[in-house]
Amino acid sequence: MRLPGPAVAVALLVLAATGTAALFGGLLVPDATAQDLTTGITFPGPGHPLGTDELGRDVLRLLVAGASTAVLGALAVSAGSMLTGNLIGLPAGYLGGRADALAMRWADLMLSIPALLVAVVVAGVMGGGYWLAILVLIVLFAPTDARVVRGAVLEQRSRAYVEAARLQNLTSWRIMTRHVWPNILPVALANAFLNFAYALVSLASLSFLGLGVAAGSPDWGRTLSDNKGQLFANPWAAVAPGLAIIITAAAVTVVGDWLQERAERRRLAR
Amino acid sequence: MSIGETKPLIDVRGLRVGRAADGRTLLSDVSFAVEAGRSLAIVGESGSGKSLTVRATLGLLPAGLVAQGDVTLAGRPVSRDPKALRALRGGTVSLLLQDPFTLLNPLRKVGKQIADGLARGKRTPAEIARRLAEVGLSADVAERRPYELSGGMRQRVGLACALAGDPTILIADEPTTALDVTTQAEVLDLIRRVQRERGMAFVLITHDLRVAFSMSDDVLVLYAGRTAETGPAAAVRAAPRHPYTRALLAAEPPLDRRLTVIPSIPGTVPAHDAVLGRCGFADRCALAGDACRDGTPEPRPAGPGRTSACVRADVLAATAPAEPETAPEPEPAEGSGPALLEISGLIRTFRGAKRPALAGIDLRVGPGEAVGIVGESGSGKTTLARCVVGLERPDGGAITFDGTSYGDLRALPKGERARVLRGVQMVFQDPYSSLNPVRSVGAVLAEALRAAGRDGGKAEVAALLDLVGLRPDVAGRPPAGMSGGERQRVAIARAVAGRPRLLICDESVSALDVSVQAQILDLLADLRSSLSMALLFITHDLAVVRQITDRVYVLASGHCRESGPTAQILDSPTDPYTRALLASVPIPRP
Repeated sequence: MRLPGPAVAVALLVLAATGTAALFGGLLVPDATAQDLTTGITFPGPGHPLGTDELGRDVLRLLVAGASTAVLGALAVSAGSMLTGNLIGLPAGYLGGRADALAMRWADLMLSIPALLVAVVVAGVMGGGYWLAILVLIVLFAPTDARVVRGAVLEQRSRAYVEAARLQNLTSWRIMTRHVWPNILPVALANAFLNFAYALVSLASLSFLGLGVAAGSPDWGRTLSDNKGQLFANPWAAVAPGLAIIITAAAVTVVGDWLQERAERRRLAR
Repeated sequence: MSIGETKPLIDVRGLRVGRAADGRTLLSDVSFAVEAGRSLAIVGESGSGKSLTVRATLGLLPAGLVAQGDVTLAGRPVSRDPKALRALRGGTVSLLLQDPFTLLNPLRKVGKQIADGLARGKRTPAEIARRLAEVGLSADVAERRPYELSGGMRQRVGLACALAGDPTILIADEPTTALDVTTQAEVLDLIRRVQRERGMAFVLITHDLRVAFSMSDDVLVLYAGRTAETGPAAAVRAAPRHPYTRALLAAEPPLDRRLTVIPSIPGTVPAHDAVLGRCGFADRCALAGDACRDGTPEPRPAGPGRTSACVRADVLAATAPAEPETAPEPEPAEGSGPALLEISGLIRTFRGAKRPALAGIDLRVGPGEAVGIVGESGSGKTTLARCVVGLERPDGGAITFDGTSYGDLRALPKGERARVLRGVQMVFQDPYSSLNPVRSVGAVLAEALRAAGRDGGKAEVAALLDLVGLRPDVAGRPPAGMSGGERQRVAIARAVAGRPRLLICDESVSALDVSVQAQILDLLADLRSSLSMALLFITHDLAVVRQITDRVYVLASGHCRESGPTAQILDSPTDPYTRALLASVPIPRP
């Protein structure tokens, strides 16, 4: 196997660190939200590598604890939209005709809606909340996934192996799931990676607007929003969560690209 | 630049190509020279290294490959001087590529693309018209774009572009492989004429022995990245001095008679570095002895102007090749008993097409009969087959298979459709796309067996693999890494898993190398008799249809031009189109 380049290696390290924080953040920094009002807001210094915010909370600890909601939420969005996209795109691409027309007009309709605006409205009307934000994003992301999957299926459908399967008189369901789907999986996965980065930023935006995670919770978007007024007292309180979002999103994109290239190479080496 | 008569324009010595990343060698010790006005055909099957040879000569290797050896083009040593090579390419040296559908820029007018190669002062409409006339095209073609031209016209334009810089050396890589047989003959004639008129040194790369011997003065036979044999084309053809050349010539099916068994070469072409330090052909060679596996055989003189890399070349010269046995022409069985497949008045017009793909075809296949359909691309032969198995929906006409009548197979009730598909199966052209890359061979065959109502257990899969001449351990492997021939055997196994009564082969041997093609044709003939199947064999290759079918239909533009016993049609065709097809088969130069 070819070794990943330096950019990919760095991205993989970033993702490993983020993943650890997301999964074990509660264990690593159990008292992340502990306030120390006597300290108040401080610049980075001994004991507080990134300083504290105005409630005296350690910014680094908040960052580690905040990975969980930010990253797992984005993961839920990309997984959920990939699942929905596959369930719609696979039959649309394989069966064609009316099923395809229906699915694609639905996708067109959904894509004509400004995503983040809808999320803001829905979350605002229904009172916000973390899981509602995730659900809204899944619904908004799914049409793009359905289109990508459909496109990949269309490319496979005309291959002789699919026709050979049809000559075995196999059911459409079996051909779709057992024959076509494994061949489009690399495309779907690569797309899920890109969605993850997008979902990370979108969820943070919603939290920033106060529509995702409850105020005061450790979440990158939320922390950024909470601390945006303290840019002069301790810039790191706002900049650090922002950087975390950007770096993680970039790392996921780099790794996603790398995986797609690898899948492509394997396909060509066939 | 003036060059002496005897000094070759291309002189390649000790060419070696390796991969930088892992140090693997792909090609060794290839040498050849071509003088002005002479032509050389580099012949070999896929994996022989023929394309690598010219790409290395021209400094056009893909990234990661490195060439060594001495290359002299038009008297200038270029192997260590990429700058000199760049100066020669496109001017003194020109390359004509295989695929006329991708070698031209679809958005630019033909005239502009030819002008690109002309010298700066010569880019005038008159000059472009003259260049088009040279390749047999009228001046108005200059104003057209490539998509408005047929494949043959595009390849003519490709040739005009290649000639624009007035090269003294022309190299053509499979220039007619993507073309229909009648078009191929025209383009080959054109290239040969232009080459003679201009007195260019010409190198032709081809897998097609007939094309090689009809086009060139000399041949170079490559095998597994090494020179097997070189010499004047006529002499090599008449008396090959390498067992591989002899076997390759024997494996080419004859057009004028039917053989009981087409002599095929067992196995497949090995990788170059798998057979270092010995004769690469030894494992497939009937003559091979201990000496063949001890050291790499060097090309040695074998007659006037000839070399052979066979250590037993003198033994070969002393023994005449076994004459393959001619089979008695089959008794046409038409009209006896009820038909297995009866097609009447089949019509299919694709949306947006100017003429129907099928314009009312009648066809009949008796039980156990082998019937051929011959035609060029666009004749409707594939559409016909796809209608029979329900991959295509005809607009009119009726298909009756084994008592079940239908137009659209997909519209039949489930039970009847299943019965038809159990009785008729199909083998596709491309063995690479017809197997699912993510499913193992065993899974593919087990599924086919279960679809035919069997249990699909390991023993059944092994028996099925044995039937098509594959070992049972193939079952656990994915198709990746298998050769084209092995894949096609798997595809055949899948098709015959349910013991169909009719097997449709749609160009099933066209994508295979000659030696492998012979293996597969023999396999299909064996299966036909052991499983008492009927065959509907679709091909553009008249020699192949002669070997495997009893009766033949000749299709052109959706119409049936002629039908009857294969021997009769090929020996005394009555339709002008059939005659044109027969006349387009390349004939070796005397």
